[in-house]
Amino acid sequence: MKNGISVFIAAFIALGASWCGFVLAPALQLGTAKQTAVLNSGDTYPVQRTGDATLGLQVYRANGCAACHTEQIQQTGIAFEVVLTGAGKNPDAVSNLISTLKLTGLTKEEADSANDKITAVGGKVETHLIPTGADISRGWGVRRSVAADYLYDSPVQLGSLRAGPDLADAGTRLNNASWHLLHLYAPQSVVKNSAMPPFRFLFETRKIGDAPSPDALNLPSEFAPPAGYEIVPKPEAKQLVAYLLSLHADVPLYEAPYTPVQISTNAPAK
Amino acid sequence: MSDETKSCPTPSNAEPTATRSTVPMWVFSLTLVLLFLGFVYFDHHGGWFDERVYGPYASADQLDSYQPKSGAAAAIARGRKIYESNCGTCHGADGLGKPNQAPPLAGSEWVKAKGVQRLTHIPLMGIAGSITVESQTWNLQMAAMGAALPDADLAAVLTYIRSSWGNGMGEVTADDVKAARAAIGANPHPMSGDEMMKMPE
Amino acid sequence: MNDLSQQKIDASCRVPLLALFGGAALWLVVGLALSIIASLTFHAPQMFACCSLLTYGHAQAAANDAILYGFCIPAALGVMLWIFARLSQAELVLPLVPVVAAHIWHVGVLVGIVAILIGDSTGFAWLEFPRSSSVLLFAAFLLIAVSAVATFGQRKERELYPSHWFLLAALLWFPWIYSTANLLIASGHPVRGVTQAVIGWWFADNLVFVWLALVGLGVAFYFLPKLAGKPLQSNHFALFAFWTLILFGTWCGIPQGAPVPAWLPALSTVASSLLIVPLIAIAVIVVKTVCGADVHCKGGPFCYIKFGSAAFLLSGLMLIASACPHFSRIVQFTWFGPAQEQLQILGFFAIIICGAVYELLPRIMDFELPFPKFVRFQHWCFMLGIVLLAGSLAIGGIEQGLKNYDLATTLPFLRASTTGLLFLLLGSLLFAANIFVMTLKWKLALIKSVIAAVTAPLEVSEVKP
Repeated sequence: MKNGISVFIAAFIALGASWCGFVLAPALQLGTAKQTAVLNSGDTYPVQRTGDATLGLQVYRANGCAACHTEQIQQTGIAFEVVLTGAGKNPDAVSNLISTLKLTGLTKEEADSANDKITAVGGKVETHLIPTGADISRGWGVRRSVAADYLYDSPVQLGSLRAGPDLADAGTRLNNASWHLLHLYAPQSVVKNSAMPPFRFLFETRKIGDAPSPDALNLPSEFAPPAGYEIVPKPEAKQLVAYLLSLHADVPLYEAPYTPVQISTNAPAK
Repeated sequence: MSDETKSCPTPSNAEPTATRSTVPMWVFSLTLVLLFLGFVYFDHHGGWFDERVYGPYASADQLDSYQPKSGAAAAIARGRKIYESNCGTCHGADGLGKPNQAPPLAGSEWVKAKGVQRLTHIPLMGIAGSITVESQTWNLQMAAMGAALPDADLAAVLTYIRSSWGNGMGEVTADDVKAARAAIGANPHPMSGDEMMKMPE
Repeated sequence: MNDLSQQKIDASCRVPLLALFGGAALWLVVGLALSIIASLTFHAPQMFACCSLLTYGHAQAAANDAILYGFCIPAALGVMLWIFARLSQAELVLPLVPVVAAHIWHVGVLVGIVAILIGDSTGFAWLEFPRSSSVLLFAAFLLIAVSAVATFGQRKERELYPSHWFLLAALLWFPWIYSTANLLIASGHPVRGVTQAVIGWWFADNLVFVWLALVGLGVAFYFLPKLAGKPLQSNHFALFAFWTLILFGTWCGIPQGAPVPAWLPALSTVASSLLIVPLIAIAVIVVKTVCGADVHCKGGPFCYIKFGSAAFLLSGLMLIASACPHFSRIVQFTWFGPAQEQLQILGFFAIIICGAVYELLPRIMDFELPFPKFVRFQHWCFMLGIVLLAGSLAIGGIEQGLKNYDLATTLPFLRASTTGLLFLLLGSLLFAANIFVMTLKWKLALIKSVIAAVTAPLEVSEVKP
């Protein structure tokens, strides 16, 4: 190029193009998003955090928790499952047919064809959609994370390294406040060989007063304070735990549909 | 110059220059091929800028066709909400009922019956007199708690009740509720257990 | 152009560059020390558990920013000023402006690092400095850019050399991405929801990959022909590399599987695969320029720049690999990502800049390096350190991904990476030693000459009769 101006124009075009693509367009498309509807329900999603949980997000940010934990679940596939809900008028014919068909881990076409075959002999079926992926098989979530999950987060703490487990659905999976407090104070006491550093500065060691505090942690002996002392969480610790308990991603949405697992442990009779 | 660089021929103080040889053609061809392949990839995986399409869905059409239909599973989610606000206070959120208030629904033979006619009548008409549930007789009154609900909502609640707490039964459709309403006619009156047993299942 | 004018050109850069390099060398040592503290957390989680300052979340972020903002950018700007002065064959314009800006910059970095350690970080990767610090950095950068562009404008030879394109583009790049990111996500009214993450990824890619590539390659394309004694091969190929780098590299930021609509990661995957083109072009340029040069600089600046160029190609390949959907499923969220970033920042950029500094420092100071043997020693420390750090983190990352994010299996690799960091720290201490002693010697010489001028016997003609 011949002069500084043409270099400037070249850089302007290149950076301007990606600015339009990755700053302007997402700001217009995602930055104006509002609450969305939960699939097949009247609820809206997400629900804004309140109280301690909102402050807990700032404690999460200030301590750099996103350096080791992610808050995003990934999905790599979609599987279908056909479930019999009624035997209809020919229960024998239906059960004979069922024994010859594969009913889990199907593609959409296979599910539709199984559906058609069973309905043809009078059975009543339902097709369930199940997201698949490594994170979901690990039990870290039931569906992939989407933009709606972070609508009210500021700052969004997606994380980029998993030195510890993913936390997007931590409120569903680990919904015990005292477990979280113990884990923050002495991770090695609840998770063997944990590499997480203890966050003792979020807690206060103080002399037991007239009676032990109701907040005092119930630690195993190797981690317990000396006799006469108790460990009490500071407000930051409680806020952080409230935030962790508020992390859910277990609601089906249009962008991330799935068939919720039924409340009962028994599937409808096959 | 430092000792190290003395062993090298001293770089000339002249500023560096560049030759003018041309760029070989294969580099441009490679770029074009990669651009084409990239376009094909984007076509398959990009969802064409639709904000609702997330991987692994390939397009808005696919996402739309894969949506779970409002079947039993969807109704259960809805039904649960309605149950908890309408029925749970007496029958319990866990379906186990409360003594002197309401019989249990978990394991109840009225819920687990093969046919849904009797079950659909209960919330539409209410119960007066005695009714035996799981070998226990209950002599309380139930108002027609479901009479005000729209068909689909009542169907959702009943589907939820039939499939929860180990009952493991199938759905109740809005059509079932509609048929029951039609059968009841203009004058619903609460029935006792014996009266309901006279109805077909 | 005679030697005297060259000396004057070099001398005009002296004070600004010492201000920039002095702070930069210090931040490199601090940053690597913080990296070691962060990395020790995985071997012994209890080690820094008492104090909140050094918890991993603080130490790692502070280390990354200290190295990038504290060392890489000021050192880059210093080398850039000298290259512009030399290519323009003119003295540095407004030499006091970069001196003031250098001090503002280093104060800004200090404020930022302290803020991160006490918990006042923004929460975005590579953008953790709070507003109080980022404003200072932005202002300082613009001041230095003014001086650089003014020096560029003084050039007598109007035709641009390839380094000009890369370095001028970098001067536009940083203010644009830095202001956008700070105004849209690290502010009181950020954009809503996951848009913050998208802009954060765009910023990180454009800073850590593209900006460092622009400056590093601009510096490499200046020094390689100079040190090899051959011309750059070739102008057109460098133009092609420049265009393809800025067109494709800037779109590479969005990771696969991210919680954003599918078109964003798809565009990044396409751009990353196209990145192979500028990598090939740069490889051809470097190989053709270096090969056949009859130069044996053992451990000297030439070795630094050759190693750095090779590290860039490897880092680019790692970036492309981590954007491939199948490979990214294994290595995403593992140590592979940090391995690529450290290779880019330390293996490519830091080494090239250190080589450039060693080459230009004796010229601008007009005397030799105080510890010439350190140059070779540092070269070996850095090479070994980078191989241990990036290599073990990369392999550990793949292992971690294959074993279900189980951290225990990666502990031996983490130990190797800590050892690598120790070597890098040693190398950075050698670098700092050279720069500080040189600055000290220069200051002492300055003081001596001032004292000599003041205490010199008066000329007879000066005394009034």
